Amino acid sequence: MLNRRIFVRNSALTIVGTAAVPGFLRRAAFGAVEPGTRTKRLVVIFQRGAADGLNIVVPHGEQAYYALRPSINIPKASVLDLDGFFGLHPSMSSLLPIWNQKHLAIVHAAGSPDPTRSHFDAQDFMESGTPGMKSTEDGWLNRTLRSVHSDASFRAVAMGPSLPRILSGPEPAVAINNLNDFGIGGGGPQASPVQSSFEAMYAGSVDAVLHGSAQETFEAVKMLRSANPEQYTPAAGANYPRGRFGESLKELAQLIKANLGVQVAFADIGGWDHHVNEGNTEGQLANVLRDFAQSLSAFWIDLGELAGDTVVITMSEFGRTARENGNRGTDHGHANVMFVMGGSVRGGRVYGNWPGLDPSQLHDGRDLALTTDFRTVLGEALYRHLGNQDLSNVFPGFENRTEGFLRLL
Amino acid sequence: MSLPGRCFLSLATAGFLCLPAAIAHKKVAPSSSTHRARAIQALNRLTFGPRPGDVEHVLAIGVDKWIEQQLHPESIDDHALDARLAQFRTLRMSTEELAENFPPPTLIRRVADGKQGLPHNKEERAIYETQLVKYREKKEKNAAPDESPMPATSEAAEKLPGMLKLGPDMRMDALLSMSPEDRSDLLATLKGNARKEFLDGMSPEQRESVLAMYNPQQVVTQELMQAKLVRATYSERQLQEIMTDFWLNHFNVFIGKGADHLELTSYERDVIRPHSLGKFEDLLLATAKSPAMLFYLDNWLSIGPKSDFALGIRRTPRGFVRHVPPRIQAKKQQSGLNENYGRELMELQTLGVNGGYTQVDVTEVAKVFTGWTIREPRQGGGYFFDERRHEPGTKIVLGHKIRENGEEEGRAVLHILAHNPATAKFICNKLAMRFVSDNPPPSLVDGMSKTFLTKDGDIREVLRTMLESQEFWQPAAYRAKIKTPLEFVVSSLRATEAQVNDARPLVRELQSLGMPLYGAQPPTGYSMKAETWVSSAALLGRMNFAVRFASGRVRGVDTPSPSLAKVDSFEPKQILTSLENSLLEGDVSKQTHDTVSARLNDPVISQRRLDDPARTPDVSMIEGLLLGSPEFQRR
Repeated sequence: MLNRRIFVRNSALTIVGTAAVPGFLRRAAFGAVEPGTRTKRLVVIFQRGAADGLNIVVPHGEQAYYALRPSINIPKASVLDLDGFFGLHPSMSSLLPIWNQKHLAIVHAAGSPDPTRSHFDAQDFMESGTPGMKSTEDGWLNRTLRSVHSDASFRAVAMGPSLPRILSGPEPAVAINNLNDFGIGGGGPQASPVQSSFEAMYAGSVDAVLHGSAQETFEAVKMLRSANPEQYTPAAGANYPRGRFGESLKELAQLIKANLGVQVAFADIGGWDHHVNEGNTEGQLANVLRDFAQSLSAFWIDLGELAGDTVVITMSEFGRTARENGNRGTDHGHANVMFVMGGSVRGGRVYGNWPGLDPSQLHDGRDLALTTDFRTVLGEALYRHLGNQDLSNVFPGFENRTEGFLRLL
Repeated sequence: MSLPGRCFLSLATAGFLCLPAAIAHKKVAPSSSTHRARAIQALNRLTFGPRPGDVEHVLAIGVDKWIEQQLHPESIDDHALDARLAQFRTLRMSTEELAENFPPPTLIRRVADGKQGLPHNKEERAIYETQLVKYREKKEKNAAPDESPMPATSEAAEKLPGMLKLGPDMRMDALLSMSPEDRSDLLATLKGNARKEFLDGMSPEQRESVLAMYNPQQVVTQELMQAKLVRATYSERQLQEIMTDFWLNHFNVFIGKGADHLELTSYERDVIRPHSLGKFEDLLLATAKSPAMLFYLDNWLSIGPKSDFALGIRRTPRGFVRHVPPRIQAKKQQSGLNENYGRELMELQTLGVNGGYTQVDVTEVAKVFTGWTIREPRQGGGYFFDERRHEPGTKIVLGHKIRENGEEEGRAVLHILAHNPATAKFICNKLAMRFVSDNPPPSLVDGMSKTFLTKDGDIREVLRTMLESQEFWQPAAYRAKIKTPLEFVVSSLRATEAQVNDARPLVRELQSLGMPLYGAQPPTGYSMKAETWVSSAALLGRMNFAVRFASGRVRGVDTPSPSLAKVDSFEPKQILTSLENSLLEGDVSKQTHDTVSARLNDPVISQRRLDDPARTPDVSMIEGLLLGSPEFQRR
C-alpha cells in the first residue's frame, strides 16, 4: 500500500501578519483606506459543480490512477510535472510560473468531511463552514469579518448578481455584477437626483431587509464613484480570458487596486460537473480549466505588488469518482484539490497526506479519501494572513489549533 | 371558503390590522377595506401582479369566486393572449418539427456528409443552405487556420439597396432565389438598422425564416423566452402561469445544456402546463419520461452494468442469445450507470434532502431507471424504453422490493415517491414558500401535506387548502414576499399596462437582473427566498430598470402612463395619488410618499408643462421612483 507522506516540514515558522494588525482598522475619510496603508486580503474562489481534482493535479506517479481511468486519464507525457509524483493538467500551464516562483501551493485530498454527494448540500456546507449542520444561518466569510474590523464599504465583495451563502450574514457585504453599472442614472462624480430620492426612500424605510441592503449599496456606490472605475486598463501582460470568471477577477483586481479596502472577496466559476465526455488533455474539463488557470494568472499579474498582501484560495464542493463512469465522465465523489496562491504563501509544494488510489484506500471503495479538512487550510489563512485568531467562531465545532496547520503560510 | 371579518387593512401602513371580531362586525367602512385587502392579497399571490382596475374587478365578482375561477383555468377565456402568441410559430411545433425547421449543427453535419437531403420547401431550404455555407467555411478555416478569411463580397452588398425598394414578399423571393453563398454574404452585411429595414413589413413567418438563416436555434429559444414574458404579462389564467413557472423551476431543465434548447418548448407545453394543477404523480411521471429531463440529468445515457447492452448480448425474438462484439455495439462508448437523475429525483424533486434515503437508494433508483432513454435526442426523437439497457434483477428502494419488471419498475418507484409523506411535506413547504412566506408556518404546511396525502397528490386541492387557511390571510403574510426579478419585471409591465411589442429586450433585462429565463444551470432551479434577490447588485439593477422602463428607454415596450390619462390637470398631488393607486393600490409608506412628493416640483417634471400648458407633465420619473421603491419590491 502506498501511503506517501508528501510533505513533512519541521522548520520553524515565521509568523506573517498576525503581530502587525495593519492600518485598515482605522477608517479613512471617505471609507476608503488611506494611501500607503496595507490591507491584507483573502480571495476565495469556488469551483461550482465538483471539479475533478484527480485530473487537475494528476497523481501521475500512481499506477492505479491510470488503471481507474482508461479513457480520460492525462498521459504521463502530457502532465506538467510538479514534483515527480504530481503534475498539473496541461491546460494549466499559465500557473506554472507562479508555482516556480513558489507563490502557488497545492493541497491534495482536501475538502469537506461530510459524506453528502449532493451539489447543493455540499456547497452549502462549504459556504456555511459547518459541514453536516444545515441550520447555520450565515457564511464563514461573513463571520470572519466580525473579528477583523473595518468600515470600508468594499471590505467584503462578491462578484455576481447576488450575495452568495458564504458572505451572507450580519456583516455588510456587497455583490457586484458589473462595475460600470454600479450606480443609478449614469456615471459621473455627482449622485443623480434620482439616486438621491431612492436613497432617501430606502434610508427611511421600515422594511428591514431592503433598508439594510440598500444602505450598504448606496455607501458603496458613493465610494466607487470617487474611485472612477471607468478609467481602467489591466497591467501589462495580464490577459484575462473572455468570459464571466475572467471578467469577475478583472473587476476584482480593479477594486483592489482602487484602494477601497477590500478584505475578503469571493468569485465563482461553474461548469465542472462532467458526468459525460469529460475529456482528457483536451475536452470539456480542459476548456474550463484553461479559463480558470488563465484568469488566476492574469489576476496575479494584474495585482502586481499588491499580490504580496493577497491570498487566493480555491475550493470545490467535492471531488469526483476515482474511477471513470460508463459515459467517459465521472460521478460525484469525495476529497478534492485546493490551490493557495499569494505573496506570503510557501508555494512550489503539494501539501497534505496522499491517501492513495488503491481500491482498499478509496473512500467507500470509489472516491479519493479525505486527509485535510478544508477548514484547516482556511483557518491557517485567516489566522496567519488576516490576523483573525477567533477561529472557533468562524468554524464553530471544529478544532483548529495552530499546531495542526499545514504551514503553507 | 368563508372568512369571518377578521382583519382590517390599514392601507397607509401596508399591513393587516387584526381587530376583535366584535368590532369587525360593526357596520363601518373598514369591512370594505378588509375585502379590499383580501383582494389585493389574492392578486399579489395568484397573479404576476395586479393591473389597474383588477382590485375592483375581483371585488365585483367576489374574492372567493375569483379564486375558484383561477383554480379552473379552462373556464377562463384567453383569446387575447392566443392572438398575441400567434406570431410565435415554434410554440406549436413538436420537437421533431423544431429540429427539422431549425436544424441543429448535428443535422447540418448529416446533410453535409450526404446522409440526409435538403428540404423541398424553399424557405426551409434556404435556412439549411445558409448553415451549410457556415459549416463549410468553419471547416475550411480549421483546415487552414492561417489563411485569412475571404472578405464578404461587396457584390452582395450592392444588391441590397435594390432589394430594399421591393415589397416584403418580393424582397423575400429575391433573397430565396440568390445562390447560398451570395445569400450568406448579403445576410452578413445586414447589421443593426439595415437588418431592421430589411425585415420591415415582413410577416412573422418571413422574419422568422430570415432570422433562422442567421441562427436557427436562437429562433426557437428566443420565441420560447418571449412567450414566457407575454404569457406572464397578458394571460388571464394567471394562476396557471404561476404554477407552470413554479413547476418548471421545481423540475428545472437548463436551456443551455445541449439538445435541451429544442426540448424545452414541448417540455413546458406538453409536460408541465397540462399538469400544473393536476395530480403530482402524473406530473412526476411526465417529467421522468420527458426527453428534456432525460437529457438534462443524463438518464438517457445510463446503462445497467449487467444489462444485455453492457454485456454485448443480442436476443432474437425466439429468445436465442447472440454475443455482439463490443466493437459494433460500442457506438457511443457508453456502458455504465449514471446516478444523476436518481439522486436529484429524490433530493430535489420528491423527498427532499432530509427525506430519509441513502446512497444505496440512489444507486438502486438509478438501476430502476436504466433503459428510460431518448431516440436521437439531437434530432428531436422522443422517449422510449430500451429493454437492452435495463439492469436485470430485483432492486430495493426505501425498503420496498421492486421486482424485475422492465419499464414498470420506474412507474412503481415514482408511485412510491409521490405518495411518501416526506414528499408531501417537501412539496407543500415549497408551495407555501412561493405563496405565503419565506418561512411558512409549520401548521400551514402540515395542513397542506394532509390534503396532499389524502387527496392523492391533487395540486389543486392542496392549493385550495392553503387558500382556505388562516395563515394565508394573516397580517404577517401581507406583502411579505420579495419579488423575484421575473415577478418584479412582469408586475411593472402589468401595473403600468405596458404594451409589449418586442419582448427580446425584456428577456435581456432579466438576464442582467440575474434571472435569465430557463437559465438556471443547477437542478435546484432559482431560489424563492428574499436574501437571494436583495443584494446590492440586485437592488441597483431594479432601480435602474424602474427608471429606464418608466421613461420609455426599455426598447420594444410602450409605457403609455395610462394612469395619467385619468388626470386632466397638472395637480401634483393628484398625479402622485393616482400613480400610488395604480401601481401600489395605495399601499405607500409616508417615507416614500414624502420623498416622491418632494420631487414633484423638479424642473424635469414641470418643464414640459411650462413650455406648453396644454401638454401633460412628464411624470415618468415619479413612476420610476415608485416602481423602484421598497414597497414595489414586495408582493
